[in-house]
Amino acid sequence: MAQLIEFPIKAATRAGNALVQPLRSAWPVHSVDDYGRDPHLISALAPLAKLRWDVTVGGEQHLPVRTGALLVCNTRRFSLSTVYAALALSEATGRPVRFVGRPDIAPVGPFMRRIGGLLARPADVLGALQHHELVLISAEGTNHPRNAGKVPHELVGPAVLAGVPVFPVATMSSTVGRAARVEVGPQVRPRRKRRGPLAEVELADQVQHHLQRMLDGFGGMQTGVAPIDWLAEG
Amino acid sequence: MGGELGSLVAAKLEAEPWVGALVGIDVDPPRRRLRKAEFHLLQPSQRERIVEVVTKFNPHVVINLSVWEPDARTGLAHARQFTADATTAIIGAAAECPALEGMVVRSGIEVYGRERNSPTRPIESAPLHPTSEYGHMLANIERQAREVGRRVGIAVGKLRLAPVLGKHVPSPLGRLLRQPVVPFSLFADSPFAVIEDGDAARAFVAAAARRLDEPINIVAPGAITTLQAILRGKRVPLPLIGPEWRVASRLSHMLGAPVPDHVVELMHRGRLADGAKALDVLGFAPVLSTPEVIDHLYAWESVVRIGSISEAVA
Repeated sequence: MAQLIEFPIKAATRAGNALVQPLRSAWPVHSVDDYGRDPHLISALAPLAKLRWDVTVGGEQHLPVRTGALLVCNTRRFSLSTVYAALALSEATGRPVRFVGRPDIAPVGPFMRRIGGLLARPADVLGALQHHELVLISAEGTNHPRNAGKVPHELVGPAVLAGVPVFPVATMSSTVGRAARVEVGPQVRPRRKRRGPLAEVELADQVQHHLQRMLDGFGGMQTGVAPIDWLAEG
Repeated sequence: MGGELGSLVAAKLEAEPWVGALVGIDVDPPRRRLRKAEFHLLQPSQRERIVEVVTKFNPHVVINLSVWEPDARTGLAHARQFTADATTAIIGAAAECPALEGMVVRSGIEVYGRERNSPTRPIESAPLHPTSEYGHMLANIERQAREVGRRVGIAVGKLRLAPVLGKHVPSPLGRLLRQPVVPFSLFADSPFAVIEDGDAARAFVAAAARRLDEPINIVAPGAITTLQAILRGKRVPLPLIGPEWRVASRLSHMLGAPVPDHVVELMHRGRLADGAKALDVLGFAPVLSTPEVIDHLYAWESVVRIGSISEAVA
């Protein structure tokens, strides 16, 4: 009798197994980490990302090997600099780098979560930093690729609270070409010890200053033809 | 003490050297052989009798596990009623006990809610914004316990459990995942974490022993998405986009696995929480990770035949 009752369930399970077996063999059944980042999906998407960006990474030796750190990059509008910088730094350091700024609406939000996105909320940044994660935030977007925008001090605050180092990350990419560059600078140390919220405000200003200096050091393309230089700079 | 979690906690408390006498109250008899514990079969509505039993015993520690998850053992309306009645009776009675030093109440990570832009992995200090019926029920338990703790000056520990799964735990999530065909959200297959019933029971014992006086998240390490859980369990995934969820929920209800709003929320928006504080404060680390708990859930045989048991014993 029990076998009779179980028959439809067993039949459905067997049919289902046959249907989803290819999917199961292609996709690991456990690949998300504590924050929902999916390394398997990232490696599957890597060829697509490489089609768009050919990223040169420098200065990654400044980053801590085990502890958490807050990285702050500049961003040109619509350049997705946090995404390619996080992916490139993850590959270079061998540690997951989580970028901040995913939307919280399906389907983009969940997809960006799977590739390492966090919400642009101090609570999310603080939680990740306290778990010794590398977290990448971006300065405000600018139109010029070599201008560093204002660094949001409310997202730098969690680094002060968690007591983790802050590193500037200069990024440069082109709207037309594949070449992109990600350069990690040395740790930014606060000039003065503050007990209150001025610590994060001053630290954010310092990071912006460091970023601008690094971007100035990058230099621009000079072909002699202004429109080409402009296009190359994005 | 009659539910799976309550019976487990009672069994573990009996083995603790610091526990002298033990009294339990529930609507169902204990599911395990208890040697020391005294059990009272009482309904949540029998408030006067509950108060009498608790005050007569005059405990040092009260552990309140009387939470009815919607669609686990009963529907939403009854779950809400039973939980409210039991909370009022147990917490109210505990406040009348002069020897009481601490109280540990069961809560859940549903209290954080999953509204837009809520933290991905909330820590214990995150604001409580429940967005499901179950979340509201749990937040209400926490509020009542906190108020009583403040009024009578006792330690009140709140254990915010991830969805509790186990081989014999009545859980709408567990029941749904064990269906032959399981729906999942195609565009938002968000990750969630769970906790095994044995680990949850150990956390309650540790909290009672230490007279915990703060909220703690009890979450198994790791995370899993619904699709991954379905594939792990060799079930058939049914991708859904949006409006057909209502139909799927009704159908699932008819097939014996109702899908309450907090489970739909979990499948759409995910449910994670930061469980690091449990190790720091309680010295508690779950034995099983989230994927292992899911594996254990699927390892449970639907029909256990007496013949096979006899053979195994022989």
